[in-house]
Amino acid sequence: MLEIDQYSGLSSPIHRWDPRLKIVSIFVLIFSIMLLYDLILVVITMCFAIMLVFLSKIPISFILSRLKWVFIFVLPFLIILPFTFLGGGIAIANLGSITLYYRGIEYVVYALLIMIKALTAVMLIFPMIGTSRIDITIKALEGLHLPNKLIQMFAFTYRYIFVLSDEFTNMEHSLKSRGYRNRASLFSLTSISKAIAMLLVKSYERADRVFYAMRSKGYTGTVTTLHEFTLRPQDWVNMIIVIGFAIFIHIAAISSTMEVL
Amino acid sequence: MVHVSDAIVAPWLMGFGWVLSAGLLAYGLAKMNMEDIPKLSVITAAVFVASLIHFQVGPTSVHLVLNGFAGVTLGVLSVPCLVVSIIMQCFLFQHGGVTTIGLNALNMGAPALIAFLIFRTGMGLNFDFQRKEVLFGSLAGGIAVALSVMMLAVELLITGSEFTEVTTFVVFAHIPVIIIEAIFTGVMAGFFAKVKPDMLCI
Repeated sequence: MLEIDQYSGLSSPIHRWDPRLKIVSIFVLIFSIMLLYDLILVVITMCFAIMLVFLSKIPISFILSRLKWVFIFVLPFLIILPFTFLGGGIAIANLGSITLYYRGIEYVVYALLIMIKALTAVMLIFPMIGTSRIDITIKALEGLHLPNKLIQMFAFTYRYIFVLSDEFTNMEHSLKSRGYRNRASLFSLTSISKAIAMLLVKSYERADRVFYAMRSKGYTGTVTTLHEFTLRPQDWVNMIIVIGFAIFIHIAAISSTMEVL
Repeated sequence: MVHVSDAIVAPWLMGFGWVLSAGLLAYGLAKMNMEDIPKLSVITAAVFVASLIHFQVGPTSVHLVLNGFAGVTLGVLSVPCLVVSIIMQCFLFQHGGVTTIGLNALNMGAPALIAFLIFRTGMGLNFDFQRKEVLFGSLAGGIAVALSVMMLAVELLITGSEFTEVTTFVVFAHIPVIIIEAIFTGVMAGFFAKVKPDMLCI
């Protein structure tokens, strides 16, 4: 359920792109779309993002299933934003003493803008992270000179996420086999909390032993993989295209506001 | 839901979040030793896994935050823990936003530090009560989430008055989370105090 890099074995221009430049370029693109407030330009950027996703050959169904969560977060904004109880629009309904107002089309546009921008930003995560294996992405972060302690935490946490969720499922099974049922009661909550606490104590002791075993075998904190990064001209061309687009869209935004003035 | 998605809050607020959380993170990393990594990673993984458990509230869903729990177990190191957990939630699970990582980290991290202070001060108090860690653990756990939600509400309201209804909705949706986390963190703290006191940061 968590393997974002499950399609990293495919071959596409995005997969062949050097992970370091890939991460930086797409990061810039994501920030650039956040600072746009023009619906047409946002839609153009979304098309560019869809093109990148298409080039990366990651199955659309996989991306859609992940975009669901973003949608769930943004949906309340889309529903609630165009309406208000405070007045200042057209009254459309009376609920007892409260009147519901419709604020007008500009708020619908604003809500749409939020939704498209959020979805585009998340869509770009897939070509950014989903096209290289996680260990190579982590090595790329080291190449980008992020603090070493932070990188080690990424590497270890990523491993323990899978260990913990497996152990959590085991614990659920053993609780169930002893007749435990999850109800909305204080007893359920305290029993499950204690079970999770025990699981954490176990995992902590295990992690400690693993870490000391690694230290005694010469682990110093640097990421070691067989993969070596080499920069080809094509990597720089890709970077120029993506960052160039990010800058271009802002020049377009500035010139359109100039025309209005 | 406590995470702000991309494109909602004002850009200057995002910048503010990045700067402040980078400062907190630098402080946390400076305090961190290599030997802390196993404990930190296990707690971070736990915070991450807990955030995948969703409860349906009305048209949206809320999930456990566990920043109070991180504060109680990790102290100052809870900031790197929450930053890593937020980055992972964003990139592995598409939860929250990329540009709002800084702001989300601040919303989680600052209350975690306050939760740690509450817990430590409480444990230092000299009064006759058998299960101090349960009491102060649950206080810390509840207050941390409440503070996170309050910070989120303030940020939404600063961004624009059109968010008034959304903010009210978000705050009410989190009342059950506050109660659940208060109980959860209290029970955890009590259990750790008996079984493995190393896990608590006193």
